[in-house]
Amino acid sequence: MSNDGTNPMRPYLGVLAGIKELAADIRLFQIELQNATGKAAFADYMPGQFAFVSAFGAGEAPFGITSIPGRGELLEFAIHRHPHGKTTNALHSLKLGDPVGVRGPLGNWFPMDEIKGKDIIVIGGGIGGAPLRPVISTILDDRENYGGLTILWAARNPSLLIFTEEYDSWRATPRTDLHLTVDQRPPDWREGNEGLITTLLENVGPSPKNAITITCGPPIMIHFVALSLRKLGFTLDQMLVTLEGRMHCGIGKCGRCNLGDIFVCVDGPVFHHSQVAGLMESFL
Amino acid sequence: MMFMTHDDLTTWLDHLTKELKVIAPRDVGKGHVLYRPVTNSSEITFDYTRPDLSAKEFLLPHTERLMRFEKRADQLEMHDLSCEAEQIIFGIRPCDAHGFVALDALFRDQEPADAHYSQRREMTILVGMACPQMWEGCFCTSVGGAPDDPSHLDALLIPVDGGYAVQTVTDKGEKLLASADFKEVTDGQDRTLPEIPMNEIVPVLPPEQWPGHFDEDYWMRLGERCLSCKLCTFICPTCRCFDLRDEPIASGANLVVHERMRVWDACTAPNYRTIAGGHNSRPLKGQRIRNRYYCKFHYYPQDFGPLGCVGCGRCVEVCPVNIDILEMLSTVSAMQRELDVLEAEVEL
Ligand code: SF4
Ligand code: SF4
Ligand code: FES
Repeated sequence: MSNDGTNPMRPYLGVLAGIKELAADIRLFQIELQNATGKAAFADYMPGQFAFVSAFGAGEAPFGITSIPGRGELLEFAIHRHPHGKTTNALHSLKLGDPVGVRGPLGNWFPMDEIKGKDIIVIGGGIGGAPLRPVISTILDDRENYGGLTILWAARNPSLLIFTEEYDSWRATPRTDLHLTVDQRPPDWREGNEGLITTLLENVGPSPKNAITITCGPPIMIHFVALSLRKLGFTLDQMLVTLEGRMHCGIGKCGRCNLGDIFVCVDGPVFHHSQVAGLMESFL
Repeated sequence: MMFMTHDDLTTWLDHLTKELKVIAPRDVGKGHVLYRPVTNSSEITFDYTRPDLSAKEFLLPHTERLMRFEKRADQLEMHDLSCEAEQIIFGIRPCDAHGFVALDALFRDQEPADAHYSQRREMTILVGMACPQMWEGCFCTSVGGAPDDPSHLDALLIPVDGGYAVQTVTDKGEKLLASADFKEVTDGQDRTLPEIPMNEIVPVLPPEQWPGHFDEDYWMRLGERCLSCKLCTFICPTCRCFDLRDEPIASGANLVVHERMRVWDACTAPNYRTIAGGHNSRPLKGQRIRNRYYCKFHYYPQDFGPLGCVGCGRCVEVCPVNIDILEMLSTVSAMQRELDVLEAEVEL
């Protein structure tokens, strides 16, 4: 086996070029790929795709890519440190300039061309909402080609809201609204609402006319958001979702991510809700 | 059909073991036979039933070193680790060779090809030994195989009176056998192939009929007694789930070395589907047993072509709580018959 990239399990070598605190235990990792093959592989990845990030010696884990190629060469991942997660803990202990590995881009993506001209409602919950950021960036950078953009963002509490630095620029963009909600609002927090994302969604009440929704978050949230959207008149075909799967390979081999006869890693992670609803085995 | 005496065979094997890595059935004591590397023919057993473990580990090792990471100060070097040299698996049973067909479809033929598996597969020659009978619990003939099926081998030996009938199947097999000494059958002895006693055929529902039975209570009842011990998947010639782990290999003041290993995994394990946030979409044992069987009889054939079961019967033998794939297959077929009756009544 040579070093020419014929081993699909081999990561591209990168270095940690930036680390930003996004929220409690959540950091944005900016990675600069070190060689031409890696850069070529990531030349035109799409919103919704994911990649495995390696903390060499600890392991690798899959994360949605939160950057877009149009905004520079650095690859960005929002990574939550899990108390018992060997890889996420190791990633969080890395310093600027440390080597990391990236394997990808993997999976399918949001059909950004097909949804041009439509009103888009993005609904994100916690760290699971991270794959929505490239959708938002893509729309903001090509604003006239998309309809209204409504962003509904939820977290358990304000300290877990991610990408807060960007909220002002999102709000300042024409035909773009941002609505926030947290499970429990501290007395001094005035930026958003208190309550579940479904309550927020039903209060904002977006119209289903020529609209498409994109939901990213934990399975249970995807389920209840779909119920609320149905109440608002959206059909399952108007709802796009990303499913999280336990994954070890990302290329349809290891068996980990199957839901019935589909593999989240290659058949997804992006699905129409109508596909998800018709799956043999529930994602819940 | 060519013929080889037992002495010619052992002479040939002694010659092969000098040149190549040879894996063959070996009696490891107390009546247990395993496929193991051998250095000469005296280590091989020719009188064996179904080895306790399949030959899967020689193409998909239980622990396989994929890459090595060497870290010096801030510099990281990454090395792909490649596989060993050419190997012959001698005496492999036709069902175990059939198992490789399932692994081939996924690891080699489905893009992107797995580099390690494909390379090892390319360097492996399979010389099979037909089973003189079907053993207890074997049902290869129900899932497209046979005790003397040459199709997935490079060459097949069939025990006959006084030696072995030899059938070459592929060019690889022919080339390898060119170094062996064959006899023309001239002495009028009976060298015809023996009739092989067969086990009963079990009904196997065709892949497209399985989805209709996914929600049956049966699976949860079946799962109640499962211990989630994973034995059934580890001994299975076609179960292929894997995990990746980085393991420390060496560390010193200036150099830290890790290797990324691929290790066997099992879908019957409790946390198999638990995602980072803690959600588990397959928490019930019955759901996991169902997944294992659906993988074999519905997902695998639908997604990759071959069935994920070759009828070796090992999972029946090994399960500590007697969960029985044959009983499962009969039950599912019975459920289908009931469904057919109901549908016929609706049409009337
Ligand atoms: S009988 Fe059991 S162990 Fe053998 S191939 Fe089928 S599922 Fe695997
Ligand atoms: S061998 Fe039996 S008890 Fe163990 S995981 Fe398999 S079915 Fe369950
Ligand atoms: S992550 Fe390995 S099959 Fe999907």
